[in-house]
This record gives sequence, C-alpha cells and structure tokens, in this order.
Amino acid sequence: MRIGLVCPYRWDVPGGVQYHVRDLAGTLRGMGHHVEVLTPAQHEESVTDPWLTFAGRTVPVPYNGSMASLQFGPVSAARVRRWLRDGRFDVVHVHEPATPSVSLLVCMIATGPIVATFHAATTRSKWLAAVGPMARPWLEKISGRIAVSDFARRVQVEHLGGDAVILPNGVHVPFFADGPALPGLGRGRGGPPTIGFVGRFDEPRKGLPVLLEAMRSVVREHPGTRLLIAGRGDAEQLWSMVGAELRPHVTLLGEVSEADKAALLRSVDVYCAPNLLGESFGVILIEAMAAGAPVVASDLDAFVRVLDDGAAGVVVRRDDPAALGQALSDLLADPGRRAELAARGSRAAARYDWQVLARRILAVYETVLPPGGGVVTAAPEHDFPGVPPTGTAAGPPRIRRPRR
Amino acid sequence: MTPEAWLLLAAGVLLLLVVWTGWTLTRLRRLAARVDRAWAALDAQLQRRAGLAEELARHHPAALGDDVRSRLASGAAGARAARDTGDRELAENALGHELRELPPDLPGVPAALRTDLAGTQTRVALARRFYNDAVRDTRELRGRRASRWAGLHRRRPLPRYFDIDDRLGDDDRLGDDDRLGDDDRLGDVGAGADVAGRLAS
Repeated sequence: MRIGLVCPYRWDVPGGVQYHVRDLAGTLRGMGHHVEVLTPAQHEESVTDPWLTFAGRTVPVPYNGSMASLQFGPVSAARVRRWLRDGRFDVVHVHEPATPSVSLLVCMIATGPIVATFHAATTRSKWLAAVGPMARPWLEKISGRIAVSDFARRVQVEHLGGDAVILPNGVHVPFFADGPALPGLGRGRGGPPTIGFVGRFDEPRKGLPVLLEAMRSVVREHPGTRLLIAGRGDAEQLWSMVGAELRPHVTLLGEVSEADKAALLRSVDVYCAPNLLGESFGVILIEAMAAGAPVVASDLDAFVRVLDDGAAGVVVRRDDPAALGQALSDLLADPGRRAELAARGSRAAARYDWQVLARRILAVYETVLPPGGGVVTAAPEHDFPGVPPTGTAAGPPRIRRPRR
Repeated sequence: MTPEAWLLLAAGVLLLLVVWTGWTLTRLRRLAARVDRAWAALDAQLQRRAGLAEELARHHPAALGDDVRSRLASGAAGARAARDTGDRELAENALGHELRELPPDLPGVPAALRTDLAGTQTRVALARRFYNDAVRDTRELRGRRASRWAGLHRRRPLPRYFDIDDRLGDDDRLGDDDRLGDDDRLGDVGAGADVAGRLAS
C-alpha cells in the first residue's frame, strides 16, 4: 500500500505527534508498505531522509499549553499539491487536522481516502472552539477518524462534531525493554536510589515544581536519592527552582537522544510523571513501563487509563507534593512492590507495541479504501493555463459529476 | 442611498448567496460521495461476514454441533436475504449475535478461517462507525436552516444511520474505550489484518 503521512508540527522539534508519525512510518515501512511523510521543519536541512518531504516553515502559536505550528499560504499549498501528485498514495493519513496547519491544507487539497488522527485532549482550547467550525467543511472530507484516547475522541465529538475510532499511541517496546543502562547506574546494583523525570521541565503543566517539592521529603527518608531530569528547558531557571539544599540530589541531563532516554528509563528505580494537566495520552508512561521502571504518576485521566486504573503503577493526586513524596518514599523502601509493578507494567506496555497498533491502523486504511482501489490526488488547480490547449480538446472542460 | 448604491448592495448580496450555494452544494456532493463509499465498504464487510459464517456452517458442522450450525446457517441466510428486502439491521444483528455466541475455541476449524472471521468482525465495526460518521456529517449540513430553506439536495433521501450491535465479545473491544484488554483480543485484530492483507494482495 502507498501511504502518505502528514505531520503538522516541526519535524526537528521533539514532540509527541512527531514521534508518533515517525514511529508509525517506520513500522509500516517495516511491514513492506511504501510510506512518505510531509512535514514542516524549523530548518530545511534537518529534513534529510528520502521519504521525508519538507512542507515549509511554520509560525508557532500557543496551543494547548504548547506551541502549535501555523502554516498557510500559496507556497505551502504548492508543496502539498506536488507531494500529493508525486506520491500517488492509496491513502493519506493526516495528524491533528483541526489546527490551521499543513494537515488542514492537505485536507483542503486532497481528493480521495483521507484518514485523520486526533491527538489533542484539551477541552478548553479557545483555538479549537474558534477554528474548529471554520475547518469543518474540509474535515468533512475525512473518511476515517482515529482518536488516540477517549479524551481526544471527546474533543472530536464536542468541538468538531464527529465520531472517532480509538487507537492509542504506540511504543517500540523492544527498543525500551532491551539495552544497556546509563553508565554508572542501573537498577538492582545497590547504589543510591534514582528517580527519573523526562519532559520539557520549564513547562508548568509538566509538574516538575511539584516533584521537586516532593523530593525534599523523599531525601529526608532516603538521603542518597538522586533525581535524574532529561528534557529541554532553561537550565538556569531549573537550578533556581531546585535551590541549594536539593542541588546535590538533582542531575540534569538536558536534551537526550532517544537511545539515552531509553537507557535512562532502564536505569531509574522509579519513574515519576507529576503532570498537572493537558496530557492526552502519556506515551512516556508506556515507555517507562516497557523499560521496566515502576511508575508514579499524577491522577490525570489519561494516565490512570494507561496505568490500568492504577494496577500497573502508583497514582497520586495531582499537584499534591506531600502525597507524591509519600508515594515515592514508600515505593523506594519496598523492592518487592517495585518488582511487582514493573512486571505488571511490562505486560501493560506490551499492548501498545507499534507492531500491534500498526496492524490496527492498516485495518482502518483498508476500510476506507474504495473497493476498486484508487489514488489520492490533488484537486484541480483553479487557475487557467497560460496557453489555450490545442487539438480536439479545446472546448471548455467538462465537469464530471458522479451520477447517483 | 442612491439607486446605484442599492443596486450594488443587491448585487453584492446576490453574489454572496451564489457563492454560499455553490460552496454548500460542493460540500453536499462530497458528503454524498463519502456516504456512498462508506456504505460500499460496510456492505462489503457485512457480506464477507455472512459468507464466512456460511462457510463455517457448511464445512465445519462437527466443530459447532447441530443446533449452533443450523442457527448460524439461518442467520447467514437471513443476512443475505435482508440485503435486498427486509430489515437488514435486524438480520445482521441476529447473525452478529450468533457469531458472538460461538465457543471461543472452535476445534478443527482452520486458524485462517477463524482469524479471517475475527478480522472481518473488526472491520464491520470500523466500517459501520465510519459510515455513521459520514451520515452524521451529511445530516448536520442538510439539517441547517439555510440549507433547508434553499432546498439544497431536497430531492435526495436523507441517508440513514446503520445501527447494529457489532461488539466482538462480551465487551466492546474496539469501541469507546481505549483500554486494551487481554492480549488475544488484540491478537484477533492483528491476525485479521494479516489475512485481509494476504487476500488483498
């Protein structure tokens, strides 16, 4: 099958949707399908792989607590058109098409089977409330809608007026499960206990301040505890947040590669996700579980679901440093419970393996394909050629309208 | 205002009306095509399901037992007959019920047939959801006051929702819940996709 994936966010900026598209593309290619990806990027040079097509630069706008990429204009439209024409895809799969991005542009221009995945789970987005109805005429062209979670589906139903099949985000389970730990660290080595945090640490919704507050009580009970922080953000700001007394207990790894992130997750004794709001899904929790790390997470609905209603991890009230500190201390003191949670977590994570989910997404593609086959193309351009066509076909173009 | 200004205003309003009508007609045409495509997909999957049920009843009576076999056969025949006349939803529901009631391990039934059946059931659920989605979008646009007053697509029948119980087991495997249950559940879906892929190629 020839599949065209469209990522609305900048490819060279880390983010959940980008990873989703990259992993889906990789998995489908591994299954023998032809996959191409159209994506904007910050720097054109960073779009290197032959299956990637640069869709232009974007204007970042705040959206759902992060930055979304605004992209419109004739140049982008021309790129989309060319990509669709050259690709001759059986199906085009756009991501997050409700934002004014290249995904919506593809919905406007493409004719043929379109599948869309909705990621955002916010219910308070002014953007969506304002833009959703305007995008509707083009979202109507989507034949199959997928939501990554119940909450993403609810947004879809409430703001955009449509239903969606729920297919969660995937994780390359073996990539996280097997491999080395970080040098000098590792579970069960008898060293000082470690807690992991991955995410943009200067974004308040990720909840690092709550975790730091909780750490103060954790280090009282387990004096050697180290908190490993990986992710992007302003280091100065972080250190001022950490303060002098906690400073020896905190290690900042900065932005790490995927391999290092996996190694970090394999190394830590406990993974902590203190997020406050806005998480649609929580891929990082699945990654941590796949890597065998017991998880302590705040009680966001999405997290509770991923953790099997709290069976595969510890759930604490959000924005409650005391409860979080207590949960972390208890877990660090109880190796048996950690092992049990790790085993349950591995089982829970196995269900989100990309191999499993890609098959389900393929089933969606097959369902929206017309029985006789057919390709997605760009709709005819509404401008006139400079020279009138010669030969017999010089008359006005006939508009074919399917008769039913 | 001068008569010219009035004329200009009237022309402007008329132009807006024409543009709106053209745009809405385009949307309605697109939606009608989408409903047709979605229906074709749903119809194909439903027929396939009936065919597989027939095959199961005809070639593997030993695995089912007499009672189940005859009920499955009549369910499949009913679903086939209802395709042209009769209450299709009712007939498909009856067949779906029989398929859900099948014992989980059908001894002697080839694995290919079992996974094919499971995959088809998954696809019925997908196709039905996409079809109803298309119907919902169409009805929403057709039901708007402006569309009704303008009488756009008035002579076309309003597409109907297709409501059947397409759960795959005791609980909704595919549907409103993103929590995935035990592993074989997903196995069905995956294996089904495999089979369909083989058949398609």
